[in-house]
Amino acid sequence: METNIRFTHKELVERSKSGDRNSQYRLYELYVDAMYNIGIRMLGIKEDAEDIVQESFVDAFKNLGSFKYESTFGSWLKRIVVNKSINHLKLKKIPITPLEDHEFYLKEDVEEKVEAIDIKKVKIGLEKLPAGYKQIISLYLIEGYDHLEIGEILDISTSTSKSQYHRAKKKLVEIINTL
Amino acid sequence: MDNFEKHIRENKALFDEHKADKAKLWANIASELEGPKPKVVPLWRSPILRVAASFVLVFGIAAIIGVSLMNKGDNTQNTVISQELLDIDMHYKSLVSYQVQLVKDHPKLSDADKEEFLLFMDELDKEYELLKLEMEKNLDNELVLEAIIANYKKRIELIENLLHQINDSKITNEDYDGYIL
Repeated sequence: METNIRFTHKELVERSKSGDRNSQYRLYELYVDAMYNIGIRMLGIKEDAEDIVQESFVDAFKNLGSFKYESTFGSWLKRIVVNKSINHLKLKKIPITPLEDHEFYLKEDVEEKVEAIDIKKVKIGLEKLPAGYKQIISLYLIEGYDHLEIGEILDISTSTSKSQYHRAKKKLVEIINTL
Repeated sequence: MDNFEKHIRENKALFDEHKADKAKLWANIASELEGPKPKVVPLWRSPILRVAASFVLVFGIAAIIGVSLMNKGDNTQNTVISQELLDIDMHYKSLVSYQVQLVKDHPKLSDADKEEFLLFMDELDKEYELLKLEMEKNLDNELVLEAIIANYKKRIELIENLLHQINDSKITNEDYDGYIL
């Protein structure tokens, strides 16, 4: 099944490489919502997310020749969206990693005792997190990147990624517990 | 990974709650992708075609300038010709009108003679007007030009003849000093 799906996409990707607008549109249709949601999670502003998604698809289709199936098309595209989002935040001078100030609000001994919590509460909690914390939680838990990849994306070390993530998770749990 | 993390990862699809405005975004993407037309641009990048295009442009501009200059030349020539024609016209017109006036004012000429003469002149006037119209249509036609001059000459000749006749009769009747046989 998995092989079949990848094959189908490969066909679309190959036809898109040769500039077939129909195939490009079908690929776009398959991935646009997922990419848009990543943009929203990373940037928090609808218009910014739209701009980034547009740019990402344009870049992806223009540089499809360099896509060599080392990953799925989806994860290749996702990485473009994530990188563009990070660059956008850098240009807007929005801090990517959390401000040190936020640490003062953290209790050192908070234990994650949240079990089967409501996803709705997680969403609300994520919205209440500082931008940097929200990004690192999104990248690790929702986008599924490991700390090595997050380190590359955010241009920080793996250990910094780990420590920032743990701080962010603590803060998130704290917020969820108050809801 | 604790349960909290597992729970979120297992339900990550629930976080994709936003729907993109597909049509709007695609319209922008498609226009971006179509932006520069790769089939056209490389052609103009070819140096041979660039040179060829420059030649076409230079010759084109030269041709336009040349044609407009020639037209201008023709126009000035035309104005010169029509100015010349106007001068000739004025000269003959004043000559004719002067002599017509002389005939009209001549005391010894009967009214019938005067009328006949003026009728003749009117006919020549009409002919002259037609020739003038023809001249406007076709300025280069030498035949028309000659006909106009001939028309004037005829009028002058006519007047001169008339005046001669009058004067001749004067001589014969009044001022003749010689013998009458």
